[in-house]
Amino acid sequence: MPLEQSTEKFDMVLIKGMKFFDPHVHMTSRTTDDYQAMADAGIVALIEPSFWLGQPRTGVDSFKDYYSSLVGWERFRSSQFGIKHYCTIGLNSREANNEALAEQVMEMLPLFIYKDGVVGIGEIGFDDQTAAEEKYYRLQLDLAKESGLPVQIHTPHRDKKRGTQRSMDIAIEHGLDPHMVIVDHNNEETVKEVLDRGFWAAFTIYPFTKMGNQRMVEITKQYGPERIMVNSAADWGISDPMAVPKTAALMKLNGISLADIELVTYRNAITAFAQSGQIDEADFITAIDQSAKFEGNSILRGGQQPRINKSSIIIS
Amino acid sequence: MYNAEELKAIFSDVIKDNITMEAWVWLSADNNIINNTAFNTAFVMIPRKTGKAIITVTQRQQELLASIRPGFAIDYWTADRLSRVWLLIKYDSTDKDRYFRVIENLFSTAEMNEQVALYSALPVLPYPPLWAKRCMEGIRSNIGTVLEAIMYNNPYPAENLEEGAWNQMVLKAFFTEKQVDKLYGLDNRANKELARILIDYAKERYAAGREVNRMLWYLVEKFVTQEQLNNMKQGHFYGNELLT
Repeated sequence: MPLEQSTEKFDMVLIKGMKFFDPHVHMTSRTTDDYQAMADAGIVALIEPSFWLGQPRTGVDSFKDYYSSLVGWERFRSSQFGIKHYCTIGLNSREANNEALAEQVMEMLPLFIYKDGVVGIGEIGFDDQTAAEEKYYRLQLDLAKESGLPVQIHTPHRDKKRGTQRSMDIAIEHGLDPHMVIVDHNNEETVKEVLDRGFWAAFTIYPFTKMGNQRMVEITKQYGPERIMVNSAADWGISDPMAVPKTAALMKLNGISLADIELVTYRNAITAFAQSGQIDEADFITAIDQSAKFEGNSILRGGQQPRINKSSIIIS
Repeated sequence: MYNAEELKAIFSDVIKDNITMEAWVWLSADNNIINNTAFNTAFVMIPRKTGKAIITVTQRQQELLASIRPGFAIDYWTADRLSRVWLLIKYDSTDKDRYFRVIENLFSTAEMNEQVALYSALPVLPYPPLWAKRCMEGIRSNIGTVLEAIMYNNPYPAENLEEGAWNQMVLKAFFTEKQVDKLYGLDNRANKELARILIDYAKERYAAGREVNRMLWYLVEKFVTQEQLNNMKQGHFYGNELLT
């Protein structure tokens, strides 16, 4: 059984011709090598949720520059590898605890949430589950409702089950349709209630601290593919931007149907976040096609990155 | 200065031809320009209403535009880009400082396509000298489409940048492999210092075994003899005395 073989090599042949959508990955923290590997593995589009950068920001302009970079520079960087980049915008739970700053960030959010390619308010929710976190979570739920955008909820690492329940309770209390809410970082303990209550259940395949993909295979077998999606949440920690294609490969080895794999590694995420009106699948490929014919000029428009031979000792 | 009213009229003609009636009704509503919040929101939301298809411009419209604002062209623009530029020039600019702050705020929060629209609007915004610093900032961008918005069919840099900044832009166009012939004002603004920098650059490229864009010699030829030019094209360079 491949499930037992933890050292099994990832064979790209398994996923040849498949395409993937990673609905949660922090590319700002990743290298161009990651982008290239993701494109090679079939990732055609991704969502970068705004989050905490590893250390707290001290001023509102740092937030402004960060949000601007998600819709600006990072989007461009991604396009150079033929990957369509979307993002969700929000005040993350950790930094909601700095209330003076949080107030200023809240004032600025409307400037960003209507921008092209912003597919939701996120990632928001609880970390320590403090009163301040709750306050800004509620305010942002109202903002999501007002703007008609989906919500991407970060569920806490500590006291997870309770935090997940509270997040859903509050979302319902604020009149959000569960179909507009993606509850992220689920595990075996939280998934049942999330699905039963009509929310989307996202799973983060992240070594050591979140889900492993063998466990993900079992969950998909048990619950089926409906309203379930996987992501990498790859960031500045030890994480794996190839988590989605690797999980697809492992699912295939374990007899999950191609149709179900497509749902959990591609289609469901698009269905959920396209409720923003900001995702057009035709854009996934035009990043390259359009450039190729732009004014009959063969130089790619955004400046497609040239490929280099990594195994060569020569750098030219 | 160009005739702003004529420009607005031709813009609205082209926009009407290229978006749905529903989008036009939304875009042209006075509500979008009654205050700063409405203006910011409308600017950001334009692609949701107009779509992002490449516009069709008739030959008559092209000619008219070229006569109103020489050097400026909108061929291959998208509907949202043109609509955004139109909105920018429609907004009340009587208070110069206020208008500057409003536009600068859009720049500082702009996503990629918004940046493209904003930089391509530079040659048609009121108070041309106000935007020179912003234009120089845009030239520092590494985003290809943003650079193209400043460099192609855009008379602003040639008309407003001082020599150092102009030279940086031309040099950056070569470095980033842009279509240098689409830069407006190359002939008028060719200068000896630029020629010197470009010769140095060509030398460096030869030393590294890389080719140079042939357009480079066009900007150098005024400042050297035919013999010197031929020699350099063969890869034989001189010392620094050439242009001193």
